[in-house]
Amino acid sequence: MEFITKKPPIVGNSQRTYKRSINLHFALLIVAIAAVILKAYTKVPETVTYTALDQSFKVFLMLAVGAFTSVVIELFYSLSEGSTKKFDSYKGFVDPINTGLIIALLLPTITPIYVLILAVIVGVYAGKLVFGGYGYYIFNPALVGVLFANLSFGSQLTVTNTPLMLLKRALGGETISFTNMTDLFVGNYDALAIGTTSVILLCVIFIYLLITRVIDIRTSGTFLLTVLIMSFGVGFINFYVEGNMSGVFDYVVINMITGFTLFAAVFLVSESVSSPTSRETKMIYAVVIATLMMLVRVLGSQPEGVVFAILFGNMITPFINRTVKRSDNKTLLKTSLILLFTVLFISISLGFILQSELIDIFASIGGALL
Amino acid sequence: MITEYRTFLNPKKVYIPLTDIDSKIANVSVEEGDRVLVGQIVAYKFKGKDKTPVLSTVSGTVVGFVEKLDRYAKIVDHIIIENDLLMETIELTNYKDKLAVSQDRNFIHNVTTYSENISTAQVRTALKGLGIQKVTVDGLFTDIKFKGQTEHIVVNAIFTNEPFISTDYEAIIHNAEAIADGICLLGIGAGAKTLTVIVDKYMPAEALDELGKAIVDKNIELISINVKIIKSWDYKIIQKLVKHNLSLNLLDDGVLYTSVHAALMVHDAIRKGIPVTSRQVAITGDGLKVNAVYDVRIGTLFSDLVEDLEGYHEVENMNLHIGSFLTGIQLDNDDFAITQSVDSINVSEYREVEEDVCIKCGDCNDICPAGILPQNIMDAELRSVNSRIVELDTHLCVECGLCTYVCPSKINVLEWVRRAKRRVG
Ligand code: SF4
Ligand code: SF4
Repeated sequence: MEFITKKPPIVGNSQRTYKRSINLHFALLIVAIAAVILKAYTKVPETVTYTALDQSFKVFLMLAVGAFTSVVIELFYSLSEGSTKKFDSYKGFVDPINTGLIIALLLPTITPIYVLILAVIVGVYAGKLVFGGYGYYIFNPALVGVLFANLSFGSQLTVTNTPLMLLKRALGGETISFTNMTDLFVGNYDALAIGTTSVILLCVIFIYLLITRVIDIRTSGTFLLTVLIMSFGVGFINFYVEGNMSGVFDYVVINMITGFTLFAAVFLVSESVSSPTSRETKMIYAVVIATLMMLVRVLGSQPEGVVFAILFGNMITPFINRTVKRSDNKTLLKTSLILLFTVLFISISLGFILQSELIDIFASIGGALL
Repeated sequence: MITEYRTFLNPKKVYIPLTDIDSKIANVSVEEGDRVLVGQIVAYKFKGKDKTPVLSTVSGTVVGFVEKLDRYAKIVDHIIIENDLLMETIELTNYKDKLAVSQDRNFIHNVTTYSENISTAQVRTALKGLGIQKVTVDGLFTDIKFKGQTEHIVVNAIFTNEPFISTDYEAIIHNAEAIADGICLLGIGAGAKTLTVIVDKYMPAEALDELGKAIVDKNIELISINVKIIKSWDYKIIQKLVKHNLSLNLLDDGVLYTSVHAALMVHDAIRKGIPVTSRQVAITGDGLKVNAVYDVRIGTLFSDLVEDLEGYHEVENMNLHIGSFLTGIQLDNDDFAITQSVDSINVSEYREVEEDVCIKCGDCNDICPAGILPQNIMDAELRSVNSRIVELDTHLCVECGLCTYVCPSKINVLEWVRRAKRRVG
């Protein structure tokens, strides 16, 4: 009896890459459907001529066009490479559709369709295919597309009065009353992007993806934790009124649940291909992104900084990878402590910078020392 | 699934390889036509000056020598002995005295009190004389050899052969005392400081009870693990003992790591003077009509066992795998003899699973017991950056294969790490 001596793959471990993509796909589809439905219930301003249903259809159109364009580009690319074998089964479509959907979900309802198409083309071609496709890209392709749209067509994409913007104005000293909290949790308010609003849904999906191991708690969790600590630090320094924490909590909650924070934690930060590979580096990566995002939110001119922050994180991933050589408990502990310390330090300094009190404090410390 | 327990102790002929993976030169001491007895030395094999006897496992006539495939997929000389079924044994010394069980919990520190019954030298001579050396070889397991300072004896009561996890618990239940004694004997032979047994948390209560009863007051530590979670348990346990990263060969760290079956063989050899002439082998896989745990005479051809198991299913492209799936080897032929070092054989249909690209999920980095980063090593190897490979402590890899196991893209990560090692070797 003859046998073949090729080493069989180990089948006992049922984790498969494509299963992860499909789980992600599933999650994205749910978010997409939810976005369409939510739009139908979002109040439109009385001054406009369109109805909520129009808006809902627009969202649907955007999602469909985004996914479709992405698939078409990948298909063309495969054709030019001479093999479309990949597209024999639905598995091959999953990843292109995912990228297309994420791009569409990250743009606001008012996005002109041609901007969306351009964004997808840039994201999928320049962000993914030129590097060799799935598994090889350096930058998160979806974010490349979104950044392109935001930079080139910024004026066409402007949404006003999102909660984050109000918050920023509040930091500037205005008194602002926020939309009620239930709306914020369900997600039927106008935001910077169509897919990022429903907190409840995103939380459920977060847990689902954690269980199916599509995303990694060490990246997403660290990211959320850092945002939490930083917004608490900044909020405490700026909104704390004798014995009344409610201003601080509002600040923290709005930072956590609006903007791209949750969407980023669920779909963007943990994107494995463009992020580092060991647990320590994953934590460093998440902290870098969260810090940058908060910097932009607090100090920058744009209301939302996560797109840029993640792309920056992608860019320094090879460098972060190089900082850690081993992955044992000692390294883990050391890294966590250093990170915690850094985050605390940054959040406090951010708070004071905002109050322009930092210089006074330094002066007084200097005075005390002398 | 293993459904049966069988014995196959009377093959017509046995084929015993004269050399093995380490000892590559053999010096034969019998001729064709000679009659040999069970336990008789038919040859010596050498690794440098290190001499190990090759024993006959049956009584009968030497009918010749032949070159054939051994279980390491090498062609080596085998001696063929025709079994006369009389099982006549040579005279053997044995050390029947039971170990005086001391109530002193610190017995390990005064092994000398035990030497009244049996000395380190006696244990070593007995084991060597009876050819007990390579009982379990795959994975982290070590040979039974006392080289340098061996401070820790670790014995595994779990037999893992992914996807089958099975241990013949009957054997443990009936032989618990003997196993415990075997572990102590190994400890004496090595002059070891600690004795450890690793068991499955969910093993049948009876087996655990018996084992517990047997090891009580012998100062053997029992560590239970959860085998359902694939993790490098044994690595971590041994690492705790030696307090540093492990070497590729645990003997260099002063650890002798073996299985309960080996402990049983040690007991049999020293207390009863029985040389290792049979062993337990689990034969599994969907390529076979029947799966069974065998008590089999060493030297039996695997093809004879297959016949006993009613043959193969008619499947094209089959894999024959010896040892654990993470670390074992494939053979291209079933015409090989069972040796001391064969603990399991799997015959399954070969199912190709396509390798995907690395998605940099980091699962392999997380699982690595040596605390190194196989993904990063693979990356460095792909880009041929030698300095980075060295920087990443590639030499600490113990080739456990867990990185390959966890990879969701089914990449053979271990192979890349091996290549990297060779590059900077
Ligand atoms: S690199 Fe792979 S084979 Fe080597 S020790 Fe780590 S997990 Fe085991
Ligand atoms: S487990 Fe596989 S896919 Fe994941 S990082 Fe390691 S090699 Fe890449």
